[in-house]
Amino acid sequence: MFLLRLEQTINAFSDWLGKISAVLFVLMLFNVFYDVITRYLFNDVSIAMQEMEWHLFAAMFMLGVPFTLKAGGHVRVDLIYEGLSLKKKAWIDLFGVLTLLFPFCLLVAWYGVDFARESFELGEGSGDPGGLPYRWVIKAVIPFAFFCTFISGVGLMLRAINTLNGHHKSDDYIPTQH
Amino acid sequence: AEKVYTLKLAETWPTNFGVFSEPARRMADLANKMSNGRLEIRIDTANKHKSAFGVFDMVRAGQYDMGHSASYYWKGKVPNTLYFTTMPFGMTATEQYGWFYYGGGMELMQKVYEPFNLMSFPGGNTGVQMGGWFQKEINSVEDLEGLKMRIPGFAGEVLAKLGANPTNIPPGELYTSLERRTIDALEWVGPSMDLRMGFHKIAPYYYTGWHEPGTELQFLVNKRSFDKLPADLQEILTTAMRVAAYDMTIQSYHESGQNWATMKAEFPNVEVKSFPPEVLAALRKANDELLAEHAANDELAKEILDSQAEYMGVVRQWTDIADRAYLNSFE
Amino acid sequence: MIGITMFFVALVMLLIGFPVAFIFGGVALWFGVYAEGPDMFAFMPFRIQSIMENTVLMAVPLFVFMGIVLQKTRLAEQLLESMGKLFGGVRGGLAISTVLVGALLAASTGVVGASVVAMGLISLPVMLKYNYDKKLACGTICASGTLGQIIPPSIILIILGDVMGIPVGDLFQAAILPGAILIGAYIIYILIYTFLKPEAAPALPMDMDDGTRKQQVYKALKAIIPPLALILVVLGSIFAGIATPTESSALGGVGALFLALVYRQFSWKMVYESAAETVKVTAMVFAILLGATAFSMAFSYTGGEEVVEHYLSNLPGGAMGFLLLSMLAILILGFFIDFVEISFIIVPILLPAAEVLGIAPVWFAILIAMNLQTSFLTPPFGFSLFYLKGVAPPQVRTLDIYKGVVPFILLQIAIVISILLFPEFYGLV
Ligand code: NA
Ligand code: NA
Repeated sequence: MFLLRLEQTINAFSDWLGKISAVLFVLMLFNVFYDVITRYLFNDVSIAMQEMEWHLFAAMFMLGVPFTLKAGGHVRVDLIYEGLSLKKKAWIDLFGVLTLLFPFCLLVAWYGVDFARESFELGEGSGDPGGLPYRWVIKAVIPFAFFCTFISGVGLMLRAINTLNGHHKSDDYIPTQH
Repeated sequence: AEKVYTLKLAETWPTNFGVFSEPARRMADLANKMSNGRLEIRIDTANKHKSAFGVFDMVRAGQYDMGHSASYYWKGKVPNTLYFTTMPFGMTATEQYGWFYYGGGMELMQKVYEPFNLMSFPGGNTGVQMGGWFQKEINSVEDLEGLKMRIPGFAGEVLAKLGANPTNIPPGELYTSLERRTIDALEWVGPSMDLRMGFHKIAPYYYTGWHEPGTELQFLVNKRSFDKLPADLQEILTTAMRVAAYDMTIQSYHESGQNWATMKAEFPNVEVKSFPPEVLAALRKANDELLAEHAANDELAKEILDSQAEYMGVVRQWTDIADRAYLNSFE
Repeated sequence: MIGITMFFVALVMLLIGFPVAFIFGGVALWFGVYAEGPDMFAFMPFRIQSIMENTVLMAVPLFVFMGIVLQKTRLAEQLLESMGKLFGGVRGGLAISTVLVGALLAASTGVVGASVVAMGLISLPVMLKYNYDKKLACGTICASGTLGQIIPPSIILIILGDVMGIPVGDLFQAAILPGAILIGAYIIYILIYTFLKPEAAPALPMDMDDGTRKQQVYKALKAIIPPLALILVVLGSIFAGIATPTESSALGGVGALFLALVYRQFSWKMVYESAAETVKVTAMVFAILLGATAFSMAFSYTGGEEVVEHYLSNLPGGAMGFLLLSMLAILILGFFIDFVEISFIIVPILLPAAEVLGIAPVWFAILIAMNLQTSFLTPPFGFSLFYLKGVAPPQVRTLDIYKGVVPFILLQIAIVISILLFPEFYGLV
């Protein structure tokens, strides 16, 4: 039961990242809209607001990756996968998470920490007039998002283990809906 | 056999980026030949490492031993790197080389880069860069008010002070944006690169330069990688960089001349203009004020700016009496 | 050789059905670490940052959002149904409408992921609802979604212009006719296919109690105008200089919300749900890009480039032989590598030979662009296929998509050959 509870906790965490990403997206949409309107109608351009566009955009899709992993939204080639039993699918997920997802996410997160730290130590900011300061914040999103994807991967691993232990039935499987 | 030293170099430029792609290759070739094959330099373009503006960090961290880039790209990381490329209303290429090698410029540049475990060397000069492509004429300072222009970095700051709006546009959308007048003007590189982008077909005015009178590129070297080389290879490397930089400078001059002639012949309708003296005076005033702020905020910045001003104060008199007087003495 | 081995391992691994993005990333990791050590991955944050700062890619979430809002408010459905009905008894009306909408989207973005995903959201459910053959539906969407590659503005043309030193404007202009002919070819193919196989694309039922034909046409026009106006706003804002192509997609997103408001379908809940789905689709697309950048990093840093270079620099033959072989090489490589890699790695190798043989650069560029467009569609690594699978309802299987694109790939190859043989007709020499 502990493993089930842990899986649910991690899933809740991934969903929370999804909510943040959704909000970031709406902010980005109106950010771009605002920039177009002020430039065209009021002949006013703010480099900071323009840079904010890609900050929001980047944070949105980076944090969206772990959420999407939990939501089952990452595309799979299902030529073989689709016809398999629930348990065989669980074995594949378990194998994939342990050999592919974990090492990839952890290694990128590891190098991402140094990447963000150097930016922090330099006090890096935009090189353009009126641009945004604190470049380390958006750079830190890289290790953070990859670490979150690792966490979300732990959730996927637990789901596989719980499935193999007979805790999930095929009814639990909700295919992605868009 | 003798030990072969291999250095990896990252360029800011993509593959086949015209004259910008030459210095690194020429330097590598020279170093290899002069060392009888003992020094090998492998070059990765931005197409390979995918991080044009990560060159500083990658060389600093030792992922690459060297870089070929331009110092002012690092202004957001280390503000004092700004002054070693070119400055609005600053020195011409020849004057600036004088400052670098005989006027204390190299020492000041190392002073800026040393805390980051880096060495910086001149990497070739483009000469005076054009002021950019404009959809409308600039006849007065008021015309700058609200002018939407893609012009990054410090020059953008100078223009902003006079009410212009520096605007970020991704390179891939520059053509459409200028054509549809989403922006009023842009500055790119110079005749050869600009013609490739096709701006002459969509903008009527090509303004002469004021903001980059002699853009010096840069060889960045990781100090640890440099120190590992035996003394003779260090000397060979330094010499190869210096020769390659010189060579690009003249090649760039040559190609600009060729391209200019081609453009004039094939596109006689491009109107070449200069900003009126009133506008240039205002730009110059804004530039001086900004630099005064820089100097007031940072001691090293003040030292560099003073050194440049002092050097230019002397050498420009000679330029006036030599080059300027010569050119003005006949038609 | 490591690069080549890596491709085949990834290919086999893809079949087990673990998410594509992490197969790319994970396989790259093992091969990269084996060949060069873990420190190669210190480059990853730099590569990721380049994707984060690539503002042109903002078009992906923005178009996806527009598509989702149009779908949720059923405005997209009405648009396609009405267009389909306007074609009246013509079978395949929905598919033809999809091609036309795809062409319009293509004229406002150069990002293939953006239009494939938006088209998948807008028109796949409608075609399935009317019992279209899944293969035809998927093939049509993937093919129309990739039109953004050849119809200006186009990223590939910008990259090729840069690599080959041709003014972008010249390439844009040269691409218009081949693009239009491609659209025409898609439509003719759909007409022929549905003529031969009527059950694959049923004509939309005309409700008899809907009144006269005239009233039906009127009704259809009324349903078409709002979403079509939206797409025209997107295009118009670019032409009027109000927005850059990328920004225009934000106008599309806000415009879709405005339409929802007008049709009394607006609620903050709807906005939030659309945003959450946008995030899911966008993250799916970008996870693939993140995995793919690791993959191409491992490929090039372990010497894969040199292998390709060596092969290509030894192409024999005169102008026609060279063109044929290089097109064939690009097509085959397109099965495995994405178009940016191809244009950067391969084009510079082929260019000197093309110059020596006196091949007109614009002609060569358009040939390559057309050919690279095909690479988006070719299994197993065709990105359009992954993108569509990512947004398709569960009953659509990977195999449906693979089979569905085959005829469209053949069409594209036919057009490439026609450009090869009759460049005068396309005004390219
Ligand atoms: Na396009
Ligand atoms: Na492909």
